[in-house]
Amino acid sequence: MTTSPPAAGAVARNNVELTGVVAARPMVFAHGFGCSHEAWRDVAPHFTGTNQVITFDQVGAGESDLSAYDRGKYDSLHGYADDLIEIIDELGLDDVVYVGHSVSSMIGVLASIRRPELFGALILVGPSPRYVDADGYTGGFTEDDIDALLDSLDSNYLGWSAVMAPAIAGNADRPEVGDRLTASFCSVDPTIASHFARVTFMSDNRADLPKVTTPTLVLQSSDDILAPLPVGTYVHQHIRGSEMVVMTSRGHMPNLSDPDQLVKEIRDFLS
Amino acid sequence: MTIETSFEDLYQFAACGQLSTDADGVVVVVNETFLDWSGRSREQVIGVMFRDLLTRGSQLFYETRYQPVLRLGGEIREVALELSRGDRPGLPILVNATVVGESTRIAVFDSTQRQDYERDLLAARRAAELSETRVRVLQDASTAFFTASTEQSLAEALLEIARDALIAADGAVVLQDGAGIRRVVAGNLRALELLDLWRAVPDLAEPPVEQVTTVASLLEAEATSAAGAGILRSVRMEALTATPLTGGKGALGSLVLLFGRERDFDGPALNLHVALARQASQVLERLRLQAELENMALHDQLTGLANRNLLRERLSHALARAERAGREVSIIFLDLDGFKEINDGFGHRVGDAVLQVVAARVNGVVREGDIVGRFGGDEFLIVCEEADTGAALLISERVVAAIAEPIPVVEGVGCITASVGIATVLPGKPLPTLDALVRAADAAMYTSKSAGAGRITAVTL
Repeated sequence: MTTSPPAAGAVARNNVELTGVVAARPMVFAHGFGCSHEAWRDVAPHFTGTNQVITFDQVGAGESDLSAYDRGKYDSLHGYADDLIEIIDELGLDDVVYVGHSVSSMIGVLASIRRPELFGALILVGPSPRYVDADGYTGGFTEDDIDALLDSLDSNYLGWSAVMAPAIAGNADRPEVGDRLTASFCSVDPTIASHFARVTFMSDNRADLPKVTTPTLVLQSSDDILAPLPVGTYVHQHIRGSEMVVMTSRGHMPNLSDPDQLVKEIRDFLS
Repeated sequence: MTIETSFEDLYQFAACGQLSTDADGVVVVVNETFLDWSGRSREQVIGVMFRDLLTRGSQLFYETRYQPVLRLGGEIREVALELSRGDRPGLPILVNATVVGESTRIAVFDSTQRQDYERDLLAARRAAELSETRVRVLQDASTAFFTASTEQSLAEALLEIARDALIAADGAVVLQDGAGIRRVVAGNLRALELLDLWRAVPDLAEPPVEQVTTVASLLEAEATSAAGAGILRSVRMEALTATPLTGGKGALGSLVLLFGRERDFDGPALNLHVALARQASQVLERLRLQAELENMALHDQLTGLANRNLLRERLSHALARAERAGREVSIIFLDLDGFKEINDGFGHRVGDAVLQVVAARVNGVVREGDIVGRFGGDEFLIVCEEADTGAALLISERVVAAIAEPIPVVEGVGCITASVGIATVLPGKPLPTLDALVRAADAAMYTSKSAGAGRITAVTL
């Protein structure tokens, strides 16, 4: 069943959707860079029989309120962590099972450090605390690689960004058109995507990992170039008491390429 | 001329590269055209993930964008990627892909020419956007600053525009008043500590320099100020800039910006800091000049107290408020005893100094919110809201005692006293005119003076 959330604040801004069993242990699913809540299409429904299931869009993605995109706020993952905490507070949840994919792993890590009492478990799918190599640390990428991604984003959005620009500027006369993107799967605003990419791939959250006190599961895919095995291992080693499972799924999107395995691992961890 | 008849040849030597992958994205079939373009042998492609044939930047895009859209929608169109070719430069390609059952069919088009053209277009667009952004920011700033009527609203506008233009998570505007006291007028209150820790405010003694102090990362912060780094961490910030606001007479304050992650402050960014600070400084100077002029029109220049104009305005507001609230309001009229003798005997300069001392003393003993004004010559008026006769008497006694203290201005002046008249407006009575009220207090003061120096007389209306 679906219940309608209060229509204001973070819940409205982040296009929060509630399904599943009311008052059962809440599970919050957070998508990563490049996608929207649709990333959980094949995973979240598996939990609606046992849990209260919450999905949402990060501001700038999916059907979030684009006019809420404050570049300063979202210039670090803390801005996204603030939103996550706001969503949980507005819904009055606690003992949250947080499932974060990719960059949203670190967003959950930051939120759980700030408000540990809200979280019962962190499930980090393909986490990386830092993508760019540094002294004695291999993230897997150089700054040039990140620049190449930004070029790639620009060339892929070149065609339609000009068409979309007037709509996303927040046309006050037509807010229903301007503030939401519903054009395609995993719709993202190109300008925001470019900034989000920079924030995602240039952040360094290594120092935050030891501060996590929430029980944590690291779900590592095989052959994930964004979050290779040594990076997943690094996260596991630096979050005290965490567990790590290396899955057979290949690539960075086990939620889409092998949802059944992902569901099974989450269930095993929670039981 | 030969016409192809074999579908095999049509596939192998098609005008586009063609591949099929399994559900994991591993290449199962590939045509000759693709092998030719990629410079790889069939063995180097079959069994390899399509992703791994791309350059690093394209791999990132593939994983974060191409894959989810393809998985969710079952197809993807005209995706710009780059094929890795070992030591040779990458080959720009456009990709269409469709999921058919367990397999994904991929068509690859060489887009070298389009790519070259696009690259130029992109470079031009980025350059144009950069300069356009700068112009727009400065225009917006000039509009917003122009409409600011107070230092507070100017500080808020500066902070908002600077935060947005320079993508700062937080910040503050610190302003320095004429006495050199600095305070955070808008934004994060901890900015002042941070400023002091990094000594970003230009010293008044040195010529002002338009120079931005930057701390680009926590690492740099740690190296220059451990305490500062601690504050940054506690507010979840990782970098900061401080830009001085300077006017013709020196330091006016600082614009402090705080950033949520490590930042690289390049030339254009620093220039924008300076340009915004300069615009705001000009407006701030104008506002201060205006305030000074207004102050002069409403204040007595010798004592700095409210002049007759301001007294009348405040008194009429006080009467209106008293009537609305049903409360008393009192005015205290005081006249110095024997001031004429001091002026005649010691000269105007000594007389002026005595008036200044008296003004400061009266101001020092009234209640907060009471208005002290110089009514003319050696006459002073105090407006006391919500004060009945008893309260006004208490205030008057303190005033009389304070004035009566020895005045060490010039040898021989010794002490001076004041005669006081109080007029209290009672609630429920018809409101007197300003002039009637002042006349009543003046008359009461004369009653005191006639009875001898240093006395207090109170009347009610």
